[in-house]
Amino acid sequence: MSADDRHTLGKLAGQRVSIAYGEHRIVEDLDLVVPERRFTALIGPNGSGKSTILRTFAGLMSPASGTILLDGRSIDTLSTKDLAKRVGVLLQGPVAPEGLTVRDLVRQGRYPHRSLFARWSDEDQAACDEALMLTGTTTLADTPLDSLSGGQRQRAWIAMTLAQRGEVLLLDEPTTYLDLAHQIELMNLITVLVRDHGKTVVAVLHDINQAARYAEHIVILNNGRITAAGRPEDVISAEAIASVFGVRSVIIRDPVADTPLCIPL
Amino acid sequence: MIRLLVLLAALLAGVVTASLAFGDISLSWHALFETIIGSPEASPQNSMIVFDLRLPRVLLALLVGAALATAGTITLAIMRNPLAEPGVLGINSGAAAAVMAMIVLVQEPPVLLLPAAGFFGAAAMAVAVYLLSWRGGTSSMRIILIGIGLSSLASAATTFLSAFGEIGDVQRAMIWLAGSVYDANIVKVRLLFFWLILPLVLAWMSARELDLIRFGDNSARSLGQPVDLVRALMIVLCTLISGAAVAAAGLIGFVGLVAPHIASRLVGPSHARIFPVAALIGASLVAAADLVGRVIIAPTQLPAGIVTGLIGAPFFAYLLWGRRHVRG
Repeated sequence: MSADDRHTLGKLAGQRVSIAYGEHRIVEDLDLVVPERRFTALIGPNGSGKSTILRTFAGLMSPASGTILLDGRSIDTLSTKDLAKRVGVLLQGPVAPEGLTVRDLVRQGRYPHRSLFARWSDEDQAACDEALMLTGTTTLADTPLDSLSGGQRQRAWIAMTLAQRGEVLLLDEPTTYLDLAHQIELMNLITVLVRDHGKTVVAVLHDINQAARYAEHIVILNNGRITAAGRPEDVISAEAIASVFGVRSVIIRDPVADTPLCIPL
Repeated sequence: MIRLLVLLAALLAGVVTASLAFGDISLSWHALFETIIGSPEASPQNSMIVFDLRLPRVLLALLVGAALATAGTITLAIMRNPLAEPGVLGINSGAAAAVMAMIVLVQEPPVLLLPAAGFFGAAAMAVAVYLLSWRGGTSSMRIILIGIGLSSLASAATTFLSAFGEIGDVQRAMIWLAGSVYDANIVKVRLLFFWLILPLVLAWMSARELDLIRFGDNSARSLGQPVDLVRALMIVLCTLISGAAVAAAGLIGFVGLVAPHIASRLVGPSHARIFPVAALIGASLVAAADLVGRVIIAPTQLPAGIVTGLIGAPFFAYLLWGRRHVRG
């Protein structure tokens, strides 16, 4: 990504966004730009407002003030359905009704594309098949979600958001509770979605090194403010880690991916 | 699915036939058959029993059962709580308080006014519960908690009225509330049928909305569902349906809870499948409960509401027992 990209509005952007729960302000005057067709990671300590910001960008919470722009247009001008056609969201710990199969779940992703009486179309079917294929869940399609492993279930949920066929995917801590193999698998899936399918992905991640290795753009948040934003090698520094997480560390180069690697002292 | 529907329809037909045949005067299968096809050999007395006394009663039981099951299915989906039934919206307690007030406070209320009072009591409570739980949007949990709170308030009012009312009045109110289809007539059946037809069709058409809203507010909203609007419309449908059922037959408990659970266990989580199956199960349940209540200690008639309660209580226990290992 060139330095110029950071000055444009990007795919999704927040302008002077303040978010509050009741009287309690979580985020104040945030300006955040998500570059198009890139994998952006939001990192920061617990309570830094990462998830809240993600939900607000998804239109699930209304900011107390400020605007969220999608392709330069306020998302307030879009109906919830039109927004859902373009932005898919996966929150933490989503719950599905008992007995639901993977296919049933993925089909729900077509909801925003269907009018009240529309029949199931070929396009709906194609979107679901593609989503199942991309996430490697085709063979699990008729399995109830309850009987899947954590990693499989997470892939099924991602398949549902892919069936929406939006340009943007917002993922809240998608790797939490996954074992190492499934985490890597998920990161690779995101990479493929961004590189080969032109998606813009924003994920809240806890693992700084994971973010540094896979994301192309990192936003470090602390107390609802952006501490740093940019390419991993530009923002991951011992000073930033110390000031945000309160952890002293050294940053070395990842011998495999040549990305910054944070080693706590 | 087709086989299941046929099976349930056969079960329902069995219950209906038995309801038409059995009672104070039991008809043989042959006599019943003769009467139904209107053969010249049928006695006028039999045809009076079957067509004027038993048929309206069975039809009313079927309608009430299907209505309660449909309303229960809606409630289960929008409340996302396995123990939620239309009573959560305050429908039962509202109807009870209104009917009790009407009978105790009004001298000789016209008979037709009782169902009307029951319906408006139910509707008023549902509206109050919804409005009080509104805080820039609603949540299922808030509706459930406020519903429980307002219900106990209404129950307190009912108890207060019954403590100070004339003993005869109170007894009449209690009988009305016990939930029974004994005073069915064809006019009542027709009225309920035409009242229910539109809300039932609308509910069945919104199966897909219910499939989604059950995922939770955030998931549903992120897929583009206007969650608050859908929930409000569903509560309106639920009130129209179960309020009418309560007005027609008093409080017949547990059907709204049991039927949708059995249905979803039989056909899975899709509401397009749950609705017809639950309606058939609800209809069979109420008709069967009425039949059992009529014949078990004849000539005394047990109200159907008591019989469904007797079936419902063990089911409740079973539900809790079956869920003891399910998390969340």
